[in-house]
Amino acid sequence: MFATALSSLLAHKLRMLAVATAVLLGVAFMAGTLVLTDTVGRTFDNLFGDVYKNTDVVVRAKAAFDGPTAMGAQRGRVDAAALAAVRAVPGVREAQGNVLGYARLIAKDGHALGHPSNGAPALGGDWTVSTRLNPYTLAAGSPPTAADDVVIDRKSARDGDLQVGSVTTVLVQGPPMKVRVSGIATFGSTDSPGGATVVLFRSDVAQRVIAAPGTFDQIAVAADRDVSSSQLASRVRAVIPSTAEAVTGAAVTKETQDAMAVAFSFFTTFMLVFALIALLVGAFMIFNTFSITVAQRTRENGLLRALGATRRQVLAAVLLEALIIGVLASVAGLFVGLGVAVGLKGLLGLIGFDIPASGVVFTLKTVLVSVLVGVAVTCAAALSPARKAGRVPPIAAMQAGNTGVAVSSSRRRVVVGTILTAGGVATLMTGLFSSVGKPVTVVGVGALLVLFGVSVLGPTVARPLSRIIGAPLARLRGVTGDLARENAMRNPRRTAATSAALMIGVALVGFITIFVASAKASLNDTIDRAFTGDIVVNTGAGMSGGVDPAFARGLTTLPEIAAASGVRQSLALVAGDAAIVTAADPKQAFQILDIKPLSGSPDQLGVDAIAVHKDTAARLHVRVGDVLPVVFKDTGPKSMRIAMIYGEIQPARTYFMSMAAYDANFSNRYDTMVFVKKAATADAAAALQAVKQAAAAYPGVDVLDRAGFKTDQSKPFNQMLTLVYALLGLAILIALLGIANTLALSVFERTHEIGLLRAVGMTRAQLRASLRWESAIIALQGTALGLVIGIFFGWALVRASSSLGITTFALPVPSLGVIVVLAALAGMVAAIGPARRAARLNVLKAIVST
Amino acid sequence: MTTLLHPPITATQAAARTVDATKVYGRGQTEVRALDGVTIEFAQGQFTAIMGPSGCGKSTLLHCLAGLDDLTSGHAFIGDADLSALNDNELTLLRRERIGFVFQSYNLIPTLTALENIRLPLRLAGETGDTDWISTVIDTLGLTERTAHHPAEMSGGQQQRVAVARALATRPRIIFADEPTGNLDSKAGAEVLAFMRRAVDDMKQTIVMVTHDPNAASYADRIVFLADGRIVDEMEHPTAVRVLERMKRFGE
Repeated sequence: MFATALSSLLAHKLRMLAVATAVLLGVAFMAGTLVLTDTVGRTFDNLFGDVYKNTDVVVRAKAAFDGPTAMGAQRGRVDAAALAAVRAVPGVREAQGNVLGYARLIAKDGHALGHPSNGAPALGGDWTVSTRLNPYTLAAGSPPTAADDVVIDRKSARDGDLQVGSVTTVLVQGPPMKVRVSGIATFGSTDSPGGATVVLFRSDVAQRVIAAPGTFDQIAVAADRDVSSSQLASRVRAVIPSTAEAVTGAAVTKETQDAMAVAFSFFTTFMLVFALIALLVGAFMIFNTFSITVAQRTRENGLLRALGATRRQVLAAVLLEALIIGVLASVAGLFVGLGVAVGLKGLLGLIGFDIPASGVVFTLKTVLVSVLVGVAVTCAAALSPARKAGRVPPIAAMQAGNTGVAVSSSRRRVVVGTILTAGGVATLMTGLFSSVGKPVTVVGVGALLVLFGVSVLGPTVARPLSRIIGAPLARLRGVTGDLARENAMRNPRRTAATSAALMIGVALVGFITIFVASAKASLNDTIDRAFTGDIVVNTGAGMSGGVDPAFARGLTTLPEIAAASGVRQSLALVAGDAAIVTAADPKQAFQILDIKPLSGSPDQLGVDAIAVHKDTAARLHVRVGDVLPVVFKDTGPKSMRIAMIYGEIQPARTYFMSMAAYDANFSNRYDTMVFVKKAATADAAAALQAVKQAAAAYPGVDVLDRAGFKTDQSKPFNQMLTLVYALLGLAILIALLGIANTLALSVFERTHEIGLLRAVGMTRAQLRASLRWESAIIALQGTALGLVIGIFFGWALVRASSSLGITTFALPVPSLGVIVVLAALAGMVAAIGPARRAARLNVLKAIVST
Repeated sequence: MTTLLHPPITATQAAARTVDATKVYGRGQTEVRALDGVTIEFAQGQFTAIMGPSGCGKSTLLHCLAGLDDLTSGHAFIGDADLSALNDNELTLLRRERIGFVFQSYNLIPTLTALENIRLPLRLAGETGDTDWISTVIDTLGLTERTAHHPAEMSGGQQQRVAVARALATRPRIIFADEPTGNLDSKAGAEVLAFMRRAVDDMKQTIVMVTHDPNAASYADRIVFLADGRIVDEMEHPTAVRVLERMKRFGE
């Protein structure tokens, strides 16, 4: 049977090449992701292991609470007095206090470096005098000695065109600071820790401008040779305050490595999802190709059975063929995956996540997972066609080839398809609207069931759908359109299976398009409803930093400005859940923002008060006057009275407090955004100009009018859309490959018919056009079903995302129209190859073949 | 169609003709001369049968005359058009407009109905054609009840009659039939041949038919016998008995 499988493979090289390509692309994407994950993991493990190798003990504040997964434990700072106590502990060779916070470096040309709101952080800290404890190594220049000296990372120096001796600005706590670059450093063997921008000050300066005077974020300790880290840690523990902890350097390094791995695992999961989508689409193509070839080989298989092959042997021969393709394509995919890993690394670099150049980590796990998944997908997809091949009766050898019109769908198909689809919808809705464990998995399974269900129903609807889609063609394009439509209709199962692959791709593209459009529309609606001001100053610092609060205060004194308020956001543990707390100056802010107070009053927002969004209040069963337990990382547990309940989720999110309450509980002093309302009498342009002038002292901040603010806020969505489109492109490419392959097989099957058409007067151009239209009908069919599913997915997710502020369901008709047109065009492109082959057929030979 | 009008070598009334038509397959040791200098005319309004033993070149002659295959040397004409001077597109248009085909089997497009199959060459040309004529053809061939049927729903004889109707639909200069009754039982075959005869007698069509069946050949006005790629004999007003007699001599 092996010989049979092999010779069959060799006889159908081209069609099997297409199948192999589909498997190869999916596996390459998966292998690439795994290789990159391992490479990044190993790189950062080595890096952190290296730079912290001499740090034996770390003293830091105990964790106040755990933040969301990506942000880790939230802790305050330790009193600087602890340093002297630690240094006095026997066995301590050296100890240094470190601070770590926000500092935004301005490039030579005046733009702010990095994208801390959605990329690698903008870090500020102290230059550790001890070379043993300093993770940074000077590459040029000297350590900071003057108060305005800084050492910067080599990546920022390169990106910002800064050299030793350059004078530039750093945005820190308080007013912007003029600094001189005294040195340029590397982080271990890399230019920067993970692409972050780093500015390192003299320790006392860093305490003042980055953290708070008299405090450290941690104290790093190097042990004497004769004492172990754990021994020293317990000795140190005895001399530090109860709010602080002493842990071994190895434990901290492990924490950092794990945090990095967790952060990167989001990316890994994200990419693997797309790899699996590509493989799923590929599975449809494999199924289809094998179904067609098995049907075409009915006679051959009948002959094998007549000659004494058992069912099992015929089945095994087909599966063996799939296995050979699966193994070859997966192994090839594995190696292509190495290239993909390099490409993905470049992609990460583009979004600001720099991975130090080092060798590629190619683990056995990657090999096993990639090859196993690739082979499993190929064989699973070929199983049903293989069983069909096994069921061919010996008498088939004596019967004419079956190229006629296929039987219509069975009742069982309708029942199974409907059950799958309905079950999928129910699962999806359960995952979205009720609280279940692992909602993402539940939703994913639901979506998958819907896609499978519709695929099963596909052949039932393929005929009428082709008839409808092809109707205008038949009318406008005459006989070529007519034949295209008839051919698309003649084998509904094949048409359905071919278009199903595209359906999946389009469903996801449509879904993400609708979701993003809805998110943007919601955002715009919210801004229209809640933002009654005129100008927004965005520092682009995200939650990590911003500008000096003095900036907003200064704006209020301008004659063109009626009100201005800084807005800050930080994490706190409210009623047991880590949440973002937004703060602003109530007196100013409520002239600019209308967060729709429902009960209570903004006047009551004092130092001990908090405001809660209505949905959260309902979830917690609280109302105005109730007290919420809140834990702050800097000041610990507090009781906050609910002063107000409000209805608008943006920009205040779920919890809001006054600036006074914020200042009382957080040590950082940054406004991440400033909202501004112009004076009634002031000209809009003049007001904008006045704010811009005031902001000139803070390079790198954006001064935006209403429209600009909307655009600015939409940017992350657009970036996400582009990324997802690019990633889904692979699945769509495979789907188109599938259409081309089906068409090629159909052409092969219809050789005689094509000869006949040519004999009675069909020109080559007409034949090509007819096949192109047929392909377009198949593509449009997948697109139509995909869009219906995509709209449903989009609608469901939008409805389930109201707590994220996505409340408006938008149907971006122009974008969806573009998708339809592109799908039709892509279908026609996919037909080019098969159409050319068909047109080149020798008429006489084609007629003679039966 | 002016592109198809090439200067004739000699003025003629023939619907189709060949001049020294030679077709060679293979080379050297494996060389086969399927046609070896065949010069023949097919007069307008005549029903000609081409006969001969297997491999005599009769099908090759038909294919070369119909523009489905090209000659190694010599010329084939449909009316005044020299086929060797036409490119693929011109040949296609010529087949569509001046030639009708009836093949041995699988003559029809399975996805189209009988009427659609009949009108296929016209629709490919973007024409509606002469609807009265088409109705007459359908009527004559007894297909009125079958026009909406798909090929799979018709008997072999009915399918072949649809093929004949299609060949007649464009009122071509000439119809080529390649063993049109080869796959039919004798009753259905006789029907189809009778209709072909009527097409010549009543509709003034020209038919050239390749067959190995003396009975089928007896419907023709004239029989041309081929052997080893050459014309070896001709017979006017044949009968089945005379044809059988002649065919027996090929075995000697």
